[in-house]
Amino acid sequence: MRSDLYTIAFTTIITVILGLGLSATADSLRERQVLNEELDIKKNILSVLGYKQETPWTNEEVQSLYDANINEIRIDEVGSIIDELGKNEDLSYTIYQSSENNKVTGYAIPIAGKGLWGTMYGYFAIEPDAETVKGITFYKHKETPGLGAEVDKDWFKNNFVGKKLTNKNGELVSIEVIKGYVSDTDPDAPHKVDGISGATITGTGLTTFLKSDLQKYEPYFAKVRSVNQIESL
Amino acid sequence: MNLFSSKNKKIVKDPLMGENPISIHVLGICSALAITTKIDTAVVMTIAVVAVLSISNVVISLLRNNIPNKVRIIIQMSVVASLVIIADQVLKAYMYDMSKLLGVFLALIITNCIVLGRAEAFAMQNSPSKALLDGMGNGLGYGAILIAVAFFRELFGFGSIYGAQVFSDQIYSGGYENNGLMILSPGAFFILGLIVWAHRAYTKVIDKD
Repeated sequence: MRSDLYTIAFTTIITVILGLGLSATADSLRERQVLNEELDIKKNILSVLGYKQETPWTNEEVQSLYDANINEIRIDEVGSIIDELGKNEDLSYTIYQSSENNKVTGYAIPIAGKGLWGTMYGYFAIEPDAETVKGITFYKHKETPGLGAEVDKDWFKNNFVGKKLTNKNGELVSIEVIKGYVSDTDPDAPHKVDGISGATITGTGLTTFLKSDLQKYEPYFAKVRSVNQIESL
Repeated sequence: MNLFSSKNKKIVKDPLMGENPISIHVLGICSALAITTKIDTAVVMTIAVVAVLSISNVVISLLRNNIPNKVRIIIQMSVVASLVIIADQVLKAYMYDMSKLLGVFLALIITNCIVLGRAEAFAMQNSPSKALLDGMGNGLGYGAILIAVAFFRELFGFGSIYGAQVFSDQIYSGGYENNGLMILSPGAFFILGLIVWAHRAYTKVIDKD
């Protein structure tokens, strides 16, 4: 039987060694990890804005494609563009604007909210007309595989493409995930998408947070729409 | 001491067949169900477990004569937990997509009974070289079952093997559909049960009650 002093000394030494080892590992890998997370977000923004290719993107490809085509705009709660510096973070929202040859090709906004098992995170992309849906994607969620997790499957995401965010008066109505299938005769069909059977809570959750997230950006997109209208006259 | 003596070979071979941690000792079931929807995740998980198990066995074996008996489990846990965190961090830095797929289950290697079980049952009594072999053997025995389960789940759940599509479009247009049950955990239960049954029938291991 060893003395208590020995036990305490031994445990202390082991703990210190392990602790040092852990912090050294975490510290030396942190830079790469942060870079990976940023690249993953950029990859998601690119894909929701319609960029795709056959082979998986390399890190360099993601970085150069993003730098060349995506412009981050920060807006405040009334939809005015603000400088990144010196403003209250909580009251500013980011829009990822893609453009080619100085022509805007789409806007992506971050969306997040409660699904069934936890918070779902994704991006929602809008065409330059600021009323047609360009795409939707989810990069993090805890929904049930085969049921709620179908939200990140192509069949579900493709249903959003081409849907309209606004009614004919130009008011925001958002997109609703309904139960069952959208009927062709429904006058509101442009604002509805087919639900996932067995995942009603995921669907209603998505409907709710999509609408509230879109409302935050509505002041800006309303301005985009009115500018478009003036230009088309 | 000869590293490839018949006794040492037995240390590696036993956990692959007659002493398999999953199918014979029924340890590490949680991760065997959770991360076996596709073969590539099972392979990465196997590599992580082999690495953690081998290193933890060696470290514990080196310390075995100095660890105070009263706190030995705590010491073993600390070593295992530290190694798992390091594995998790390395994966996050170098295989980010894979670490997203494995999620919490990589961190849960800590609670995998195989790791602590081998530390307590083998590494505490044996030399570091033997402990290394035992760790590798058990890790591979665990991985073999994991990959076997993942093989059937990916084949019937996605129609592919290691990411390569094997069921052609013609089969699908002929009315074949991927089996959704295979993607869910209950599917893993059925496959694992069948594998345990087949393995035990083959090795003639019967639980004595």
